[in-house]
Amino acid sequence: MSISRRSLLKGAVVAGAATALVGRAEAREEVEPRPDAVGMLYDSTRCIGCRACVTRCKEANSLPYDRTAEGIHDAPTDLNSNTKNIIKVWTAGEKSAFTKQQCMHCVDPSCVSVCMMGALHKEGEGKRDFAGEKKGTGVVLYDKGTCVGCRYCQIACAFNVPKFEWFEAFPLIVKCELCRHRGDPKKEGPLAIANPACCEACPREAVVYGKREALLAEAKRRLAEDPKRYNGLIYGEKEGGGTQVLYLAGAGVTFKQLGMPELPEESSASFSERVSHAPYLHGITPIALYGAMAFVIRRNKSKEEASEHHGEGK
Amino acid sequence: MSDHDHPRAIGGKPFDPLMKTLLAIFGVSAVVMVYRFFTGVGPVSNMTDGFTWGIWEPVNVVVFTGIGAGAYGVALLCYLLNKGKYHVLVRPAVLLGAICYTLGASSIVIALGRYWNSYWLAVPTMWNLSSALLEVAVCVLSYVAVLWIEVLPSVLDGAAQSKSSAWSQLGRTWGPLLAKAMPYIIALAILLPTMHQSSLGGLLLIAGPKVHPLWHTALLPTLFLISCLSMGYGAVVVLTTILNLTWKAKHDQRLFAEMSKVNAGLLLLYVVLRLGDIAIHGKLAYLGFNGYTLLFVVEIALFLVPAFMFFSPRVQQNKGRLFGAALLTVAAGASYRVDTYLSVYRPAPGWDYFPSFGEIIVTIGMAAIGMAIFIFISRMFPVVVVETRDHSHAGSGRVLTAGSR
Ligand code: SF4
Ligand code: SF4
Ligand code: SF4
Repeated sequence: MSISRRSLLKGAVVAGAATALVGRAEAREEVEPRPDAVGMLYDSTRCIGCRACVTRCKEANSLPYDRTAEGIHDAPTDLNSNTKNIIKVWTAGEKSAFTKQQCMHCVDPSCVSVCMMGALHKEGEGKRDFAGEKKGTGVVLYDKGTCVGCRYCQIACAFNVPKFEWFEAFPLIVKCELCRHRGDPKKEGPLAIANPACCEACPREAVVYGKREALLAEAKRRLAEDPKRYNGLIYGEKEGGGTQVLYLAGAGVTFKQLGMPELPEESSASFSERVSHAPYLHGITPIALYGAMAFVIRRNKSKEEASEHHGEGK
Repeated sequence: MSDHDHPRAIGGKPFDPLMKTLLAIFGVSAVVMVYRFFTGVGPVSNMTDGFTWGIWEPVNVVVFTGIGAGAYGVALLCYLLNKGKYHVLVRPAVLLGAICYTLGASSIVIALGRYWNSYWLAVPTMWNLSSALLEVAVCVLSYVAVLWIEVLPSVLDGAAQSKSSAWSQLGRTWGPLLAKAMPYIIALAILLPTMHQSSLGGLLLIAGPKVHPLWHTALLPTLFLISCLSMGYGAVVVLTTILNLTWKAKHDQRLFAEMSKVNAGLLLLYVVLRLGDIAIHGKLAYLGFNGYTLLFVVEIALFLVPAFMFFSPRVQQNKGRLFGAALLTVAAGASYRVDTYLSVYRPAPGWDYFPSFGEIIVTIGMAAIGMAIFIFISRMFPVVVVETRDHSHAGSGRVLTAGSR
């Protein structure tokens, strides 16, 4: 008995040390933006809050209106299962600024990291082979066929984007998929991949669609051209591991005031996977542990039986 | 095997007033559950896109399985560390575990929006291995099966002693075969909870921006693992004390006192890790005059008080006091778990949540049916070791270990 306990202890120490060493060495790689990733650039200083994009988003995605009490106007107050896109306003005294919310199409999305069977997945990188999905666009798509409705994506997404149909017996998760269904393969460039209705609708080009790299360059150009107009930062370049939808805000306005979470540069997905995968060593630990335990338990049992046969207590 | 350590079927009337009450409560909750399948989750709950798991996940899954972890804790002591004296606790603990985990798994099905798609879980090529929830789901489901296999020896034992020859034949054929396979099953019964109980903590790692910094730490998996053991040991003492009061189940104060010392070690380890982690990461600044600090202090106190009680001879020798302390350890783990999942979880400003009547009644109904199943099985099959008059050498009796149940 004392031997088994000692060997067990030894085993535990070795396993622990190995875990600590290798766990650090095999730390999960950071996901870099895909070179062909597409996204949007929203410039709060250009937005006039006309909400044309909200209406066009609903039309393009066949979403029902969120009727006001008198039943005529569509007036959602937040993203919800009828609303994939919303314009909000921030005010403080004289100052005010508009902001737009929809899926950020994160570079390393939490929702994709947590989804059990890859219902939420990067285009072409899911668990099932979907005809027509192109790898490398980085668009985060939803597959209702493998979604179990666990709603872990809602917990995981720092932007609170995925919404659930609470009042349906057979509910779906609803979120912006960058209007990928409006992409036209006959067209050239990004429009072959997707075609966001919100960008098409905007009369002021406050929100534009394109390749993430090009949008990032454009954002930098605007900051350099008119530094007094902006707060000098690009939200989404690095935040939470980076996003494919980028934001510019006016001078004196923080992104936090516009409702964006303050995120570290490491994505939540990377942090969580790094911490929880380390002890597993690609599955070696559980198998080794199982083998060792089965061995010890079986030996304890046979010793027990042997002492039974000799009629002694232990 | 000496007679006084052998579990017995309790017998007695199955439908006593307590059983009827439990079934009635479950009946009410069953109505809510069925209704939910026709209308969706919204109408029966106060869950929102912000508080999307309500109380079902934090309580029915995370707390229930913590209570059920007594099976895991006792198996660790009894089989891995070969402490045969804990064998009297195995069957009740395993039955409690099987029931708690089954209820946890059933609650998930009720909470899942698109439950009919869960069949994909059986297809390993579909698994997203980055998902902590996938690991929890697969491990918990397998563990439910393992736990019921662990309950089987009681059933086969009962069958072997039955008057019907077919039943007794069945019991006598399969009992020994199962005993042979038991070590391999028990090893699984230790591995699986080690994995999924830490993953239950790991689930919230990714929600960093939403969980209060005093609770969000890379140690979440470790703290959840420790707290499931402390809850489990507490729950076993609570359960056996109640069984002693109602059915004169064998109550071995010395054994409980010893197990509780193990538990005290776990409770202190939790507190040391928790406080050390906060201090090292410079999070002490979050403590102050606010609600979070209050929750935090209550939580730490719930862990510390029973730890010190367990070391005091006055508690070790007194059935009632030990029971109280054990109850506190269950409360400690439960409060830590509910705090992390719910009380300190803030999706974004503007979201509020309080459970609806429907949510609460489903949780209570689940607990009620759990008790009913426990009582029913203990009446029918040999699970509980009953006190006999000649029992004098508590804790020193010859009992079998490893798989020979
Ligand atoms: S914003 Fe949320 S839903 Fe959209 S990709 Fe990022 S994590 Fe997923
Ligand atoms: S609710 Fe659906 S999409 Fe969201 S994490 Fe669960 S399975 Fe994935
Ligand atoms: S890309 Fe399409 S779905 Fe997304 S916000 Fe714009 S219009 Fe709506």
